[in-house]
Amino acid sequence: MTVYRCDDSLESIFTAIYLSYEENRDAEDTYLALDDNPMLFAEDVRIQPDPARAVKVMRTLERRFGEDDYLKICTALASTDSEKAQAVYRTVVKGLDERCARGHLFDNLADRYVMQTFSIARKAGREIGYLREFLRFQELENGILYAKIGPKCNALTFLMPHFADRLPIENFVIYDSTRNIFGIHPARQQWYLFFGEDEEEPELRFSEEEMQYQELFRHFCRTISIKERENKKLQRNLLPLRFREYMIEF
Amino acid sequence: MEYSVKESKASIMDKLGILADAAKYDVACTSSGVDRKGTGDSIGNCVAAGICHSFSSDGRCISLLKILLTNHCIYDCKYCQNRCSNDIPRAVFTPEEICTLTMEFYRRNYIEGLFLSSGIMRNPSFTMELIFQTIWLLRNKYRFNGYIHVKAIPGADPRLIQQTGFLADRMSVNLELPTAEGLQALAPNKSRKTILAPMRQIQNGIQENKNDLVLYRNAPKFVAGGQSTQMIIGATPENDFHIINVAESLYQKFDLKRVFYSAFVNVTQDKALPALPGGPPLLREHRLYQADWLLRFYGFKAEELLDEKRPFFNVMLDPKEDWAVRHLEQFPVEINRAPMEKLLRVPGIGVKSAGRIVAARRCAGLTFGDLKKMGVVLKRAVFFITCSGKMMYPVKLDEDYIVRNLTDKNERIRFGADGMSYRQMSLFDDGSFTGALTVQEIMQTAVGQV
Repeated sequence: MTVYRCDDSLESIFTAIYLSYEENRDAEDTYLALDDNPMLFAEDVRIQPDPARAVKVMRTLERRFGEDDYLKICTALASTDSEKAQAVYRTVVKGLDERCARGHLFDNLADRYVMQTFSIARKAGREIGYLREFLRFQELENGILYAKIGPKCNALTFLMPHFADRLPIENFVIYDSTRNIFGIHPARQQWYLFFGEDEEEPELRFSEEEMQYQELFRHFCRTISIKERENKKLQRNLLPLRFREYMIEF
Repeated sequence: MEYSVKESKASIMDKLGILADAAKYDVACTSSGVDRKGTGDSIGNCVAAGICHSFSSDGRCISLLKILLTNHCIYDCKYCQNRCSNDIPRAVFTPEEICTLTMEFYRRNYIEGLFLSSGIMRNPSFTMELIFQTIWLLRNKYRFNGYIHVKAIPGADPRLIQQTGFLADRMSVNLELPTAEGLQALAPNKSRKTILAPMRQIQNGIQENKNDLVLYRNAPKFVAGGQSTQMIIGATPENDFHIINVAESLYQKFDLKRVFYSAFVNVTQDKALPALPGGPPLLREHRLYQADWLLRFYGFKAEELLDEKRPFFNVMLDPKEDWAVRHLEQFPVEINRAPMEKLLRVPGIGVKSAGRIVAARRCAGLTFGDLKKMGVVLKRAVFFITCSGKMMYPVKLDEDYIVRNLTDKNERIRFGADGMSYRQMSLFDDGSFTGALTVQEIMQTAVGQV
């Protein structure tokens, strides 16, 4: 058994997949581990992330499986699931072996690993969807829009393109407080990620109008609800409590 | 949290309160149907699936800034809280105010766009023109590229409706009540004819626009998200059969994207309206929505679900289960062979899981375990399907037996209590029986080992 020890990053996991092909490993006898738990009778290989190799894998995946399925794989790898690397590895191997057509990688849901990758991606995708809905920007004194999120999965790389397309003429920042990463979008320019160093969140000063618009929206949310139909349980199902910490209307 | 609100904003706050309150009984708050990328120099894009940005305490989504332009109204519809004889505070938004609110809310990611409706001020055309002015400003001066849903006011100049359609993503004309008689009784100023005229106009506009788009790829889009309508349920004595027939013909003859149903809430306490001591008919509304989905996505027809003899939906079973237990001759369905249309008719299998089943069975035979992971609700489906010729448990294909098992523990108590029952009472399972059935017990019951 060969065990590739990867970091929790796209680069590292894709490098491991590249190596497994380069070294001609038998997929049944190979494991991609994200942790350091030792395994009996296993040969450990520590992965040095290599951007060049990772990019090759990315291109192959996108060419062979189509954009949608490639994005689904990336979504799965953004989750916090501890088995995601192995599940993705086996799914990719299966897809390449069976020469499955573009857009059909996730057809064979009866397969254990395909199903696992599919459900990991579904779970992470759902959270990213929630954040797209529930993220709230607040205007700072200098006109920059600032949003703080605390997601489980690494959602920032999926959120930035969405908001960059939506608000191209705004300067905005999304701060992922679980990973201490900033997504920064300067107006009319390409967005980028910034890995924060201090643990402390910077002190923020909001613009004068910000509080008034927040109060207006809170008032709107209160008014729009119909008293006769009140159903807090339904509201909780559709809008889980953990997101409310970052929402201004609660 | 309390914030001091400035003088100028205070009036906006009051207006927003009054006009959001007046708009809250409008149901359509979806932002779906249009996929439009950002342009790079304007604000906003649209996502086909729609995005809900918040949920109010009644569990309804807040996707659009849903407001009326004004709640002044010359009409006197008996069910409506904005009727002219009602003594309530009235307000009017200026187009500029609406635009600023929309833009500021949108860039903070509070909303997905604007839903603009209005009471009838002076006359329908005057009101429609105000609506047109507002969204023209929003699109052209404020360069808003997000979702806009506006009401077409029945009786307004067709040219105004046409112009508005080129700026809006979705338009809707409210049918208000399912039948013309109901409308006549409760909304004396409105008539079926004036309501259907703009609906037909928008339908034709969309069709013509489609032809134009084939010829000229960059032709301006007319109501790209389609049109919708809504009707009030429970204010007039129509039965469910009438209502879904109306909905079906709207889908077929008017190409509507959605028909919304709104459980009647008695806000005006008019003597012509029914008193609803049990609150609004929410379960009925829910069943109608379920049936609506069956019509649009599952290939059902209205007359399959209900008929003159059984004009109301079953309270205990959803419309699909209800149909299935009455058509047991079509079951069980073999998961590994049955065509898509048959799979879609199985309770517990939705459009998505049916698609997954059809894709997955090309590669491998499916088992019940696989189905569960794919998202099939086995609790309901198990009575109607086989995998490779076998059922999950030995199930009797018997109406009483299946109905008894489909209605779960808590429901079963209600079942026995009012004497309405699908089955003969027996010694072993009466209405006060409370324990949950285990798999083993179900099997024992089925093979007669009780």
